[in-house]
Amino acid sequence: MEAPERHGLAARLVAEGAVIAFVLAWWATARGLPEFVLPGPLIVGERLVRLFVDPVFLGHTLASAARVVGSVLLATAIGFALALLAERVSVANHAVNRRLLPVLNAIPSVGWAILAVIWFQVSDFSVMFVQVMILVPFCLVNVAEGLRAIDVEMIEMGRSFTRSRPKLLWKVALPLLLPYLVAAIRMAYGIGWKIALVSELFGAKQGLGALMLRAQVSADAALVFATCLGIVVISLAGEKLVIEPLARRVRVN
Amino acid sequence: MTTDQAAALAALERRRRAAAHLFTLAALAAWALFAATQPAYVMPGPLDVAASLAGFLADPHMLRHMAQSLFHVGAAIVLSFALGAALALLAHYAPVFRLMVHGRITPFLNSFSGIGWTLLAVLWFGLNPTTVIFAICMVLTPFAIINLRAGLDTLDPELIEMTRSFGRKRVRAFRLVVLPSLQPFIFATLRISFGVSWKVALTAELFGGNAGFGYLFNLARQDYDTPLIFVVIVLIVAFVYAVDRFVFSAVQARLTRHYGSA
Repeated sequence: MEAPERHGLAARLVAEGAVIAFVLAWWATARGLPEFVLPGPLIVGERLVRLFVDPVFLGHTLASAARVVGSVLLATAIGFALALLAERVSVANHAVNRRLLPVLNAIPSVGWAILAVIWFQVSDFSVMFVQVMILVPFCLVNVAEGLRAIDVEMIEMGRSFTRSRPKLLWKVALPLLLPYLVAAIRMAYGIGWKIALVSELFGAKQGLGALMLRAQVSADAALVFATCLGIVVISLAGEKLVIEPLARRVRVN
Repeated sequence: MTTDQAAALAALERRRRAAAHLFTLAALAAWALFAATQPAYVMPGPLDVAASLAGFLADPHMLRHMAQSLFHVGAAIVLSFALGAALALLAHYAPVFRLMVHGRITPFLNSFSGIGWTLLAVLWFGLNPTTVIFAICMVLTPFAIINLRAGLDTLDPELIEMTRSFGRKRVRAFRLVVLPSLQPFIFATLRISFGVSWKVALTAELFGGNAGFGYLFNLARQDYDTPLIFVVIVLIVAFVYAVDRFVFSAVQARLTRHYGSA
């Protein structure tokens, strides 16, 4: 986290003024254009509210949210397992870090999205498969960092108190790893929402990506705008309400 | 380190490399075995993909699509770099705009999805290169702003002070002092942009283009030509890896010699 910067009154005026000027310009331009080309801020705002209020739209929103959360947890678990494998079974190190990681990292998300539909048809599994495949390399890198940073002497000391491995893992290793796990979850969460749309374009009946593609096909530009903004709103809310408090607790302990 | 330890480390390194090669072979073998049980449109085998790749590289029509993608990516990198540099410099030299650029424009661009820009651009510009370049450019611009800002923030104020004492011409000071100090960051911006741009380009071409790799993706998807999908993925992975390894890493090594590891 960077230190909050102090801004003078003039800078605040310019910044908020620019936002207001932008919205006004948008409104003025949109008035002269048909709605399917450039919808105005009011109608986009109305659609945005409906994403969270209208039962049908809310179903799409919740479906996306549930899948993102599920994929993030799954990807963190897989990344953790792979990082542990590379660290503990030292022969496997290059296989994970020089083969699996760069290849997974380089495969484009649309590629996964298309292949997933061919392999698993239109299903929740297909969407989550795409998300997990994209998120795993990020989680792997983060957790591996944590494993390398673990203080060996702490483990040593723990071992002098108990011989029980589960206890050692649960009471010593896991608390030491927790900040890195939370960092991995945090990063995966941010990226997960960014790729949620792409992963849902082909493989989902429900979800904001499916909704957005349908909106585009029927030239409902307002809804396209609103789904983009909706994702920004939800991901920011989750970050502020869940992930940041979690990160703060981990840091204090 | 004793010679024993060094020998043990070297042996471990050899074993790790052997394991990695073994892993590659095992993965290819598993792929081939699995593919043999499936129709080619579900899972083409490594040989199908290799044959398809050879056919792709021999077909001038396909190569034209590759050139189109390169053009989209190149144009978007140049445009987004210019736009990002203009905004970052504005925020640096006129602090009154700092909050507007770093507190409003960058986070907004950073969180707006690339696919959203693409679908909107299709409605605005139609299916053509403008749409594709616009969408990639909007995704790359925040990366450029963030990276160039990091560079401008590390400029040594004393160095700038000293420059001023030698001459008052600001343009000359910018060209001779500021620009060289920024060089590593300019390079990092281009490197990141290049990596990200390919992934965005595919999505943008798929929905908004009439040529390029993403367009081929769309055709392949409709025809269930799964080998072609694999070929495009392989080409992109190989191309990005090769450019990063042989162009960017080489330039990076030269920059590091010049400026030290920043």
